[in-house]
Amino acid sequence: MTTLKSFYNEKEPYILGIGFIALLILIWESTPLWLTLPRGMALFFTTPSKIAGAFYRLLINGEIEKHSYVSAVAFLVGLGLSILVGLPLGLVMGRSRTLDALLDPYVTALNATPRIVWLPLLILWFGIGIWSKIVIVFAGAVFPMLINTYVGVKNVDRVLVNVVRSFGANEWQVMKVVVLPNSLPYIIAGLRLAIGRAILGVVVGEFFGSSKGLGYMIASAATNYKVDVVFVGVAIFMGFSLILTMSVKSLESRLATWRPEATKTF
Amino acid sequence: MTTCIQAKNVGLTFRPKNREPVTALNDFSLEVGQGEFVSIVGPSGCGKSTFLNILLGLIKPDTGLMQLNGARITGPGQDRAMVFQEFGLLPWRTVLANVELGLELKGVEFSIRRHRATELINMAGLAGFENHYPHELSGGMKQRVGLARALATDPEVLLMDEPFAALDAQTRDLMQAELLQVWDRTKKTVIFVTHSIEEAAYLSDRVVIMSARPGRIKQIIKVQLPRPRDYEMRLSPEFNDLKSRIWDVLKEELIDKK
Ligand SMILES: Nc1ncnc2c1ncn2[C@@H]1O[C@H](COP(=O)(O)OP(=O)(O)OP(=O)(O)O)[C@@H](O)[C@H]1O
Ligand SMILES: [Mg+2]
Repeated sequence: MTTLKSFYNEKEPYILGIGFIALLILIWESTPLWLTLPRGMALFFTTPSKIAGAFYRLLINGEIEKHSYVSAVAFLVGLGLSILVGLPLGLVMGRSRTLDALLDPYVTALNATPRIVWLPLLILWFGIGIWSKIVIVFAGAVFPMLINTYVGVKNVDRVLVNVVRSFGANEWQVMKVVVLPNSLPYIIAGLRLAIGRAILGVVVGEFFGSSKGLGYMIASAATNYKVDVVFVGVAIFMGFSLILTMSVKSLESRLATWRPEATKTF
Repeated sequence: MTTCIQAKNVGLTFRPKNREPVTALNDFSLEVGQGEFVSIVGPSGCGKSTFLNILLGLIKPDTGLMQLNGARITGPGQDRAMVFQEFGLLPWRTVLANVELGLELKGVEFSIRRHRATELINMAGLAGFENHYPHELSGGMKQRVGLARALATDPEVLLMDEPFAALDAQTRDLMQAELLQVWDRTKKTVIFVTHSIEEAAYLSDRVVIMSARPGRIKQIIKVQLPRPRDYEMRLSPEFNDLKSRIWDVLKEELIDKK
């Protein structure tokens, strides 16, 4: 008895959290039993067990794998490119006045335009295959990456830059030894934003101009009133986003061991 | 004594955008001999840090000449190192990695720089703290790291910009004694900026008193007290006499320009 109690005390947040979710699912599942929905609404209603069933079915017949693969490639390639371009560009724009003056108007104008307006053009240019999706993901994710890195570089501690320069560092070493580590919190925040934008890019790109991917799966299921399949797609996106957010968080805490908060004892 | 540092009519005016230009140094001339310990005191904003930064090679003077061993200073170099007021430690680096900074930038091989850094950490009394981060250290320990880092590249000239200003009185006394030991052992040329007359008098061979902005040298007072100096000496009448001589010169600058 006492061990059970101490087990509960230790795990209280998890037990409460999982218990509450279980309760909600139970209420949802049992809704048709105590509530008669009008015919029109019943058509668009589904229950957790039906969603689980659809999930199982789609998993077995390989649909989920096929669509997830396409979405994941668009996401990873698009995000990867945006990091590869946004981060170095943010660094050099932050350090060089000339490049800043040269590129800033384009960055500002492009960033101020909603990415969606490019979609029809991108589909014309790149077709409805994966490349138009990669480009739209890239277009969404590159700006938070670039702008956050830039702001981080602009906020770099000047004293520390001078310290490192005083020890004879060249511009490249200054970048590596102070500027990059000093702007890391900004860059990570940018990465978080970029991930959100990239997921949005995948969904929107696949909604409108695609024949594959999770976004397409959701959109086509919705037009066919397959509400349970829509939920399967939504759940997969939620799972993806959750995993990515947690990865960034763990990356963040791993990189921030030096920060006072991490080891504060009082 | 051979000349180590020579400043000839050095002048520097900052011209910030959209603001009045500020003349930080004007016709500043000073010669410092090899192995000499020189302190600089003067009112706030008179250009002391500016002088150190020019010596360090971080800023170029508008006029005049700044020389080290007869060669014009054109940029930072491993023959000089600075100990900074707010320590200037890289917060994301451990004590060891901070001390290694200069050697790393110089391209010294890993095992050699690790060995050298460990040696200096031990000497600074920081053994056991190699893998601590700066925020886990007290102020005194942080500045020991700052000093060890500056000494790691074995520079000829040690520049110190109010290095002990952020420390409590006892730690400060301790650090002063340690600095004198290091100086005695390594025979480095030291330029030491401070606001404390007592500190300047206790440590130096000469005390340079600067006038309020634009900074010029007002007077240089030679310290005749014998070495090695100890804490007791600070209670002697000669020491107090020296302090009041410095204060008399400095006081006019502080009152006049207010
Ligand atoms: N980068 C800069 N841009 C514009 N003005 C500056 C700059 N650096 C210093 N100054 C000005 O030059 C003057 C001298 O500055 P400096 O930092 O050398 O003074 P200081 O003697 O070290 O003062 P303190 O004792 O307060 O440290 C000050 O009036 C300061 O405002
Ligand atoms: Mg200063």
